[in-house]
Amino acid sequence: MIELAPRHKIGLSLPNPVMVAAGCWGMGSEYGGLVDVASLGAVVVGPLTATPRRGASPPRLVPVPGGLLLHTGLDNPGLPAAIRRYGRIWARSPVPVLLHLAATTSAEVTAACEQLGGVEGVAGIELGLWDRIGPTEAGAMVAAAVAAASQPLLVRLPLAQAHELAPIVVQAGAVALTVGAPPRGTAFHQGRFVTGRLYGPFVLPLALRALRQVVGLVDVPLIGCGGVYSAADAQAFLRAGATAVQVDAAIWQDPTAPARIGREVG
Amino acid sequence: MSTLLENAFVVEAVPGDPYHCFRLHTPTIARSIRPGQFVSADLGGLLRTPLLPAAVGEEGLDLLVPPDHPAVALLPGQEVSLLGPLGTPLPHPTPLTRLLLIADLHRLPALLPLAHRAVAAGCSAALALSTPATGALFSFLPPALEVHTLQLHDPSLLEWAGWVVAAADPALYPVLAEEMRAVRMEPATGFAHALLLPPLACGVGACRGCAVATRRGYRLACTGGPFFDLMELEVA
Repeated sequence: MIELAPRHKIGLSLPNPVMVAAGCWGMGSEYGGLVDVASLGAVVVGPLTATPRRGASPPRLVPVPGGLLLHTGLDNPGLPAAIRRYGRIWARSPVPVLLHLAATTSAEVTAACEQLGGVEGVAGIELGLWDRIGPTEAGAMVAAAVAAASQPLLVRLPLAQAHELAPIVVQAGAVALTVGAPPRGTAFHQGRFVTGRLYGPFVLPLALRALRQVVGLVDVPLIGCGGVYSAADAQAFLRAGATAVQVDAAIWQDPTAPARIGREVG
Repeated sequence: MSTLLENAFVVEAVPGDPYHCFRLHTPTIARSIRPGQFVSADLGGLLRTPLLPAAVGEEGLDLLVPPDHPAVALLPGQEVSLLGPLGTPLPHPTPLTRLLLIADLHRLPALLPLAHRAVAAGCSAALALSTPATGALFSFLPPALEVHTLQLHDPSLLEWAGWVVAAADPALYPVLAEEMRAVRMEPATGFAHALLLPPLACGVGACRGCAVATRRGYRLACTGGPFFDLMELEVA
């Protein structure tokens, strides 16, 4: 077993270190029947916000050399509707379900964390910080979320700021850190510029570098995320100091990839 | 039936003009796929490739793809991972009468199951091509299908049609919608459907990447499409 929240009163134990990343697994029902969930360490549902988001106008996805660019604009039904629709699925999951909460305002994040306190089946909350968030704001946001949350609170860091923000959010109470959010890029597509998150194997070196910069700065478990397509990729994160790994876009190409990596690594 | 993964194998691969023809042995998906639905194939890239069958048999799917399609690299005996059925079956009016298909050469194979089904049911069916076609195309069409060249601003086919299904360049859809409004004032819901399939990542609704703008909000092509009510499309 892997323990991601050793100092938290509830803790967060995973049967193996391979998880599916936020934004890739959906809300929990989408891959039903396609994935051997029991072979995973955990799944991260969402991203969710306190209120519904219509999402970005199309085109949202642009293939780019070596990967893809995706901008959904946080398209989601909002936390209350998601709990109503998917809460039972989360409660029945054979592995821990973490819920990715996109940081918006401290007030919204606080309310959302309080609301999740009574939701059976949510084993942990992963708070996603936006790119270019300031250190003070990040610390305040995480402190507010930790104070309101019953479950362990993990923080997903923007890759480019991971080393800068890591000590601050741990000081504010984060039990573990995901390093990190997919980097952003811009593509010129069908006569317009589309800016979004980048996915593909080329993200692995970026994420690995960011993780190695954070190791030694903090004493909480680290989760490597970005560009994992094989057990060797996952092992690279683990050897670099990660306690666990999140598989992202590989599941879209091959829905069996996370479970296969889980079995090979676990 | 829910979406499943099946390792299909290529039974037949015949290069040709205007289409390369493939037959995939994929009995489980073939038994559950409905008209309007599709599959995605792992052809070796980072994104799966959506494939709309040109025909569905008991044991598999027939595909017709243009010569520049990534599937042309498939060889007989090769295994290919398919994810499907994806999307929502295309609702068709009953009884089916006076079917008008509008397509370009590239997307036409997606409409062939409908064409064959309509003709077999004794329904009058016509095809209006929005791009030039060679004589070789006719070998892929049911003989009873009337073939026209799409004439924009000529209302006769739209006046005749009882149901319209289009698979063409999305830039054509606003023009078609306007023509339909001119001919029929307010076409009824379901009178016209249009194929709109942006690039897919997951294919199951998890990534939210294949959104299509409709008058009822964004809908995902992978779960709510790939055929949409033409009059509800925001591009229309």
